[in-house]
Amino acid sequence: MIHLADITKTYPSPSGPVEALRGVSLTVNRGEIFGIIGRSGAGKSTLLRCINMLERPTSGKVSVDGRELSSLPEQAVRQARKSIGMIFQHFNLLSSRSVYGNVALPLELAGKSRAEIRQAVEPLLELVGLTDQSNRYPSQLSGGQKQRVGIARALASQPQVLLCDEATSALDPETTKSILRLLRDINQKLKLTIVLITHEMHVIKEICERVAVMENGAIIEEGPVFEVFTNPRSAVTREFIRTVINHDLPEHFQDTVFSSTPVPGGSLLLRLSFLGRTAEEPVIAGLVRRYGIDVSILYGNIDHIQNLPFGTLIVELSGDAGRVESAMNALRDYKLGIEVIGYVDRNARAAG
Amino acid sequence: MSTEMLGLLVNALGETSYMVGASAAVALLIGLPLGVILVATSRGHILEQPVLNRLLSGVVNATRSVPFIILMVAIIPFTRLIAGTSIGTSAAIVPLSIAAIPFLARLVETSLLEVDPGLIEAARAMGATPRQIIAKVLVPEALPGVILGVTITIISLIGYSAMAGAIGGGGLGDLAVRYGYQRFRVDIMAATVVILIAQVQIVQFCGDTLSRWLNKK
Repeated sequence: MIHLADITKTYPSPSGPVEALRGVSLTVNRGEIFGIIGRSGAGKSTLLRCINMLERPTSGKVSVDGRELSSLPEQAVRQARKSIGMIFQHFNLLSSRSVYGNVALPLELAGKSRAEIRQAVEPLLELVGLTDQSNRYPSQLSGGQKQRVGIARALASQPQVLLCDEATSALDPETTKSILRLLRDINQKLKLTIVLITHEMHVIKEICERVAVMENGAIIEEGPVFEVFTNPRSAVTREFIRTVINHDLPEHFQDTVFSSTPVPGGSLLLRLSFLGRTAEEPVIAGLVRRYGIDVSILYGNIDHIQNLPFGTLIVELSGDAGRVESAMNALRDYKLGIEVIGYVDRNARAAG
Repeated sequence: MSTEMLGLLVNALGETSYMVGASAAVALLIGLPLGVILVATSRGHILEQPVLNRLLSGVVNATRSVPFIILMVAIIPFTRLIAGTSIGTSAAIVPLSIAAIPFLARLVETSLLEVDPGLIEAARAMGATPRQIIAKVLVPEALPGVILGVTITIISLIGYSAMAGAIGGGGLGDLAVRYGYQRFRVDIMAATVVILIAQVQIVQFCGDTLSRWLNKK
């Protein structure tokens, strides 16, 4: 649906050109909710604006729904933007227009008649649950209601794609949840492709199917949300995941020195991630029974990513070195995320 | 109050209202679009035109830096060209308009610049053309501020119009100078001042009320 190929964007600045995007390529499939996460200044906002050409990329190709926007003249781009809705962190509603007037705006711009506008706006207000607020002005609405107006307005021109620019970052957690639910609803009802950027990992966790992690103007990691959460490859990604899922070692291990090779009489610390159905299998009990080793659970947590259970366990395997090794191999046969934290000398730990 | 004095005052009030009303209308007609153009052609805006912008801005500054009494005399040939004469109430409308246009344009510019750039971005994202952005977003959003700008312009024009006597424009200010000051008619001086104060109060009150009514923020 959306295809970005090798996008770069360079801004001139007094201290020389600034590279906001350094060769970003990305494909967003039709009907999916795609998340882009990054710290402020990572370039995600610029990237989002390249999709509807609010920012023209310095080089690279942007195509949406089979049309290559980056090669079109401004007037054709304007036309194409009508099939790409956008919502904003600060809502960007016209204070001089009522709720109805704001939702009607894109239709007025498209030259629709009053009757056509009424016919389109009313169901949209109903969709976002604001029918009874139709005559109020944005200043009389709460943040969540304002974003609902923003969503209705973005949907007015019946777009194929919805771009969300930090759409929930100015909202409280409860309101964020309800807006995310609404986004998921319209994604399913209208088969709308949604691209959202955020710096909040829980937004990604809540509704995205795939995610790209941005840093310094480039995508450093990309994949299905489930995979990125359970098997993060970069430090930045781990940092983001830490904000929603505790990845820290228990406190008494914080100062421990881990060895990457077996330590005589030592034990092995592992972080296991259980995905989906495997979270329901008796993995730990099986290890103890079959390999005759000791397994102690140091930390455990079960979370949900898009309604799929996702568990994290930090376990300590101790016992005969050979058996621990075979137990490890057996673990690898399960569909588990395994991260070897390291070997630790139990005596040293006891002394410490 | 004598009928003679009443006649003078009514006549002068009529002249002032005529000069101010007409020049305010001209200022609105030209100053408002000029203010819009000053904003729209500025750097990074929807119709970026740096050269045109600098040129217009220069002209606006130049006009605004000339004291009104000098401006009035300096443009006499132009006034004659437009009004057919360089003296009288109608002729005074020309310099008053020339002074008010850049004044209002700057005030309009300031109000338009206060419109959240996010709104312009949102309109662009909807596929709005620059003209639509101006008509549907910039001007309606800035309207309460623009109304206040028009109010200030009208009040300034009331002040300027006092100087119109220099080219035979008449009006309340002229009456105050000729009768109140030069002929020591304290009663006429006091009456004109009271009328001027009332006029300014009424204009300000109307402007404030309209602006507040339009402001939905």
